Amino acid sequence: MKFKPGRAVAYLALILIGLLGIAPFVYLAVLSTKKRIEITAQVPPALTFNWTQIAKNYTEVLFGQGMLSFTINSLIVVGAATAIAIVIGTPAAYAFSRLRFKNSGSLASTILSMRFMPPIAVAIPLFLMVKTAGLSDTYFGLILPYVAFSLPLVVWIMIGFFDEVPREIDEAAMIDGGTHFVILWRIMLPIVRPGLLTAALFGALFIWNEFLVALYVINSRGLQTISLGAATLVSAQRPIDWNIAAAVGVVTVIPILIFSLFVQRYIVRGLTAGAVK
Amino acid sequence: MSFAMTSAPAKFVFGKPENPRRTVWFLLGPCIAYLIVFSIYPLFHSLRLSFTDLTAAGGTGNWIGLKNYADLLVDPLFWNAARNSAIMVTLAVALQVVLGVALAMFFNLHLRGSWIVRGILLLPMLIPPIVVGVMWRALLNPDWGLVDWIISRFGLTPPDWLGSVDMAIVTLVLVDSWQWTPFVFIIVFARLQALPQDVFEAANVDGAGSWVTFRRITLPMLMPAIVFASVFRAVDAFRSFDLIYGLSYGGPARGTTTLSFFAFQNGFQFQNYGYAAAVAYSMLIILAGGTTVILRYVHIRGPGQ
Repeated sequence: MKFKPGRAVAYLALILIGLLGIAPFVYLAVLSTKKRIEITAQVPPALTFNWTQIAKNYTEVLFGQGMLSFTINSLIVVGAATAIAIVIGTPAAYAFSRLRFKNSGSLASTILSMRFMPPIAVAIPLFLMVKTAGLSDTYFGLILPYVAFSLPLVVWIMIGFFDEVPREIDEAAMIDGGTHFVILWRIMLPIVRPGLLTAALFGALFIWNEFLVALYVINSRGLQTISLGAATLVSAQRPIDWNIAAAVGVVTVIPILIFSLFVQRYIVRGLTAGAVK
Repeated sequence: MSFAMTSAPAKFVFGKPENPRRTVWFLLGPCIAYLIVFSIYPLFHSLRLSFTDLTAAGGTGNWIGLKNYADLLVDPLFWNAARNSAIMVTLAVALQVVLGVALAMFFNLHLRGSWIVRGILLLPMLIPPIVVGVMWRALLNPDWGLVDWIISRFGLTPPDWLGSVDMAIVTLVLVDSWQWTPFVFIIVFARLQALPQDVFEAANVDGAGSWVTFRRITLPMLMPAIVFASVFRAVDAFRSFDLIYGLSYGGPARGTTTLSFFAFQNGFQFQNYGYAAAVAYSMLIILAGGTTVILRYVHIRGPGQ
């Protein structure tokens, strides 16, 4: 193969784009391994790693600042909310995909439009509701509003996946005398299993990042979620210890990186939910 | 609401006919009921709040009619926030569309190994915006940040990213674009891959240059995807406040206080629930226009078509 200069430039650009995407994460990870004074003294930070310092920073963040318990809180709250959203949202998505009824189009659009709602427009009333119900400062007080936040996303991702299943499959089952419930449970759910995974993980991501409602509902430090904990630790409102802030960032990002490994093939679908005909 | 079933006739299970209307209600009911209680009702409650002077201090607040809205219209801070939102949304969408389309054309060269870089580009979108904000606050630190160090290597003077009022909103746009340009890219790229190839071959045969082909053939065919991605981005940029929370906290001198951050500050920091609700509702009025446009495009065509 002959060397083409245009080709070389293109590859150089490709590498630069990749670096631009990944370097900020690497930089954050490197900062999280440093002493506080090293960050201001070494520019750019040296790539020499001191394991005791790393252990010290992460022990401080995970245990001293409580990020480990915040992570567990988030797993509980997000896990429960997502499970409920899937249970409620999947049958609804099936109905939108397979049944014909009046207003189905405008109803589906209304549900989609809720994905675009600014959280501030509902955060205060939700907080007042939770307070009235005596649920402020509990897991349940967060789970209830979070289900509503992830439902629109779940419904829209699932409609997309149901629409892809050929109609012949459920028509055949219909002729054999199956009801919609039987078809949904026995035939459709096994087929759309990747869809369920995608919907669950993107519904979860949507509320994993949420902290406005959590700011209102959660008062005790012990019940903070990971994004609320991160928000209070690294807010641009006040000066911070950058090595600790960086470690908080890394701890917040790691569960998401693990998650993205599971859904590699469906990330695009999840991000563009609602992009169906 | 009544549901008129036009699908398959009733089926028999255990000797009982399946009532089609009841089926719809069983499948759809829980979802709709849930959203009514936890989304629609709070929205109406918010509207009611916007006519009161409720604060966190408690009570039910006094009914003050349209006073909050009247105050908004003469509040210079509100207009400052509206201006910042307009600047941010316009610049962010414009920049992300240009870069996103450029990236799509670039990845269309299908260089070896480009799938790895495509994978990398997905990561920023998955990261909580607040972490993205903090990360870039470190990168752009005027004293020890990596970006300024790189820029000064080239003998240039880095701008005062987050320190000057005029620059801060540009920085906000740049950081938002780092996170979300890949979104535009992915949608446009998907459409590009789905385009029929014969048009390009015909253009080639007719001797059209690559710029003319792009301008006259590729771009018009990509338009549905571009419009779709822009509308999604516009709404999300408009309602985002967590990136600002992590990056600049609305500062300096309110230079990055957008409407959603302004609403957040009134509602949480100053605990003016009534006023915050009025700000949120003016955002919803603006959004309603946007959503109408969105739904039009979502129904007519998806990006991959």
